[in-house]
Amino acid sequence: MISISPKALATGSDTTIEKKLDLTNLTPEQVALDINKLNLFYGKKQALNNITMSIPKGQVTAFIGPSGCGKSTLLRSINRMNDLVDNCHISGEINLHGSNIYDKHVDVAELRRKVGMVFQRPNPFPKTIYENVVYGLRIMGENNRRRLDEAAEQSLRSAALWNEVKDRLHESALGLSGGQQQRLVIARAIAIQPEVLLLDEPTSALDPISTLTIEELINDLKKQFTVVIVTHNMQQAARVSDQTAFMYMGDLIEYSDTNTLFTTPLKKKTEDYITGRYG
Amino acid sequence: MDNLQIGRHISGQFNEDLERVINNVMQMGGLVEKQLTDALASVEQSDVALAKQVLTNDYQVNAYEVSIDDECTRIIAKRQPAAGDLRLIMAVVKTIADLERIGDEAEKIAKVALESFSSSQQDLLVNLDNLGRRVLEFLQASLDAFTRMDCETAIKIHQMDDKINREYEALMRQLMTYMMEDPRSIPQVMTVIWSARALERIGDRCQNICEYIIYFVKGKVVRHTTAEDMKKL
Repeated sequence: MISISPKALATGSDTTIEKKLDLTNLTPEQVALDINKLNLFYGKKQALNNITMSIPKGQVTAFIGPSGCGKSTLLRSINRMNDLVDNCHISGEINLHGSNIYDKHVDVAELRRKVGMVFQRPNPFPKTIYENVVYGLRIMGENNRRRLDEAAEQSLRSAALWNEVKDRLHESALGLSGGQQQRLVIARAIAIQPEVLLLDEPTSALDPISTLTIEELINDLKKQFTVVIVTHNMQQAARVSDQTAFMYMGDLIEYSDTNTLFTTPLKKKTEDYITGRYG
Repeated sequence: MDNLQIGRHISGQFNEDLERVINNVMQMGGLVEKQLTDALASVEQSDVALAKQVLTNDYQVNAYEVSIDDECTRIIAKRQPAAGDLRLIMAVVKTIADLERIGDEAEKIAKVALESFSSSQQDLLVNLDNLGRRVLEFLQASLDAFTRMDCETAIKIHQMDDKINREYEALMRQLMTYMMEDPRSIPQVMTVIWSARALERIGDRCQNICEYIIYFVKGKVVRHTTAEDMKKL
C-alpha cells in the first residue's frame, strides 16, 4: 500500500511505500525475542560474537549469510538446542517475554513447547500422519479424542496439508512426499501452539513447487506465530521475510527491514554477499 | 567504471552481461550526443543533407533502446539482481528511455533546418544556437557522469537545468515580441519555438539521468525533491 506523509503532500517529497518498523526502538509489545550481547563458544572457537537484536512479534525474520557464519547456531540458541552440544558455552541473554531463557530455573522442555523448530530435512516419526500431529499434545497429557481430532485438523489446515491427507490420516507419514512431510512436520510443530517457530532451511531439500507452497505457508503462519527462518536462498529470504539479518563469521553485520536490505544495504559486506561478489 | 565494480562478481558470466549492457548504454549515449550535435549544426549551417541524415539515423537510437531493454529483462529473469546490481539495472532501463526521447527531440530540432528562413530571420536561429550549445554541454556532462557513475558531478550539474529553463523563458519572450512585431513571421517563429521546446525537454531528461546516477550510487530517490534536499546529499 502506498502511504504518503503529510510532509510529502506539502512538499511533494519523501514519498514512501509502507511504514517500516524501527528495529532499534521497538516497544515491549512489539518484541517477541530480545537477544542481548549473546556470545557462544564451541570449545575455544567463538561462533557468535556479541549479538544484540530484537525480533519483532508476528513477523518473519530471516537470517542469511555464508556457511559457518553462525546463523544456524543463533537459531538453535533460541530454543536451547545448543545445550545438547558438548563444550558449548554461552554468555548473554535471550529474553522471551522479558525473562531470560538461559536462566537456571528455566524448564527446557517447556521452553521448546513455546519455541517450536523445523529442520532442513523433514523428520516425521514412523507413525501415522494423525499420530505425528498429535504427538506433542499427547506428551502434554491430552487424551481427549475430540480435542485431539480438532487440533489435528486445525494444524493440518494451517499447514496447508489437510486437503491432501484428510482421507489417509491413519496411514504412515513416511508415505508422504518430501514437501508433504515438511508440511506435516510444520503441522506437528504448530499443533502445540508455540509462540515462536524456528525454521532451519526448511525448503533446502524440496523441489521449487513444494518450496513455493512452504513459502506461502510461512506467510500465513506469521498471522499466528513469530517466525524465524534460516535460509541459504537469498531470494527466499527476500520473498518471505519482513526483516533480514545478515551474519558473517559470527558477527551480526546488518539487520534491517528486508526491502531496504535487498535494495540499499548500508554495509559493503552485505552488498557483496547479496550481489554475489568476492568479499 | 570503477564505481560500478562490475568485475567483482563470482559469476564471470554475470560480469560479462553487465559489462555488455553498460558498454551498449555508452554507445547509445555517444550516438544520441552525435544526433544532437548534428541537429544543431544542421540548423546553424542550414545544412539540409545533414538534417536528413539525423532524421534517418534515429532508428539506430531506437534499436539500441530495444536491445538494451531486452538485455536488462534477461538479466532480471536469469540473475535476480539485488542491491547495487538491481539499482544499476533500474538506472539503465530508465536512462535509455530518456536517451531515446532525447533522440526524438534531436529529430524535431533537425526539422528546423528543412524550413527556409529569410536573412532577416536568421538572428532567430542564433538565439536557438546559444540554448542548443548549453543543452549539448549538459548532455555531455550527464553522459560523462553516467560513464563514471560520478555522483558528485551528477549533483553538481543537476542544477544546469535551471539555467536552461531561464534561457528558454527569455527566448520565449523574445520570440513573442517577434510575432507581435511582424505577424508574417509567425510560421517560422513557431518552428523555432518547437525546437526551443525540444531543447528545454532535453535539459529535463539530462536532469533525469543525473537523478538515476544519484539513485544508483546513494540508493536515494531524488526525483521530485527540492534543490535544498539535493544539497543535503
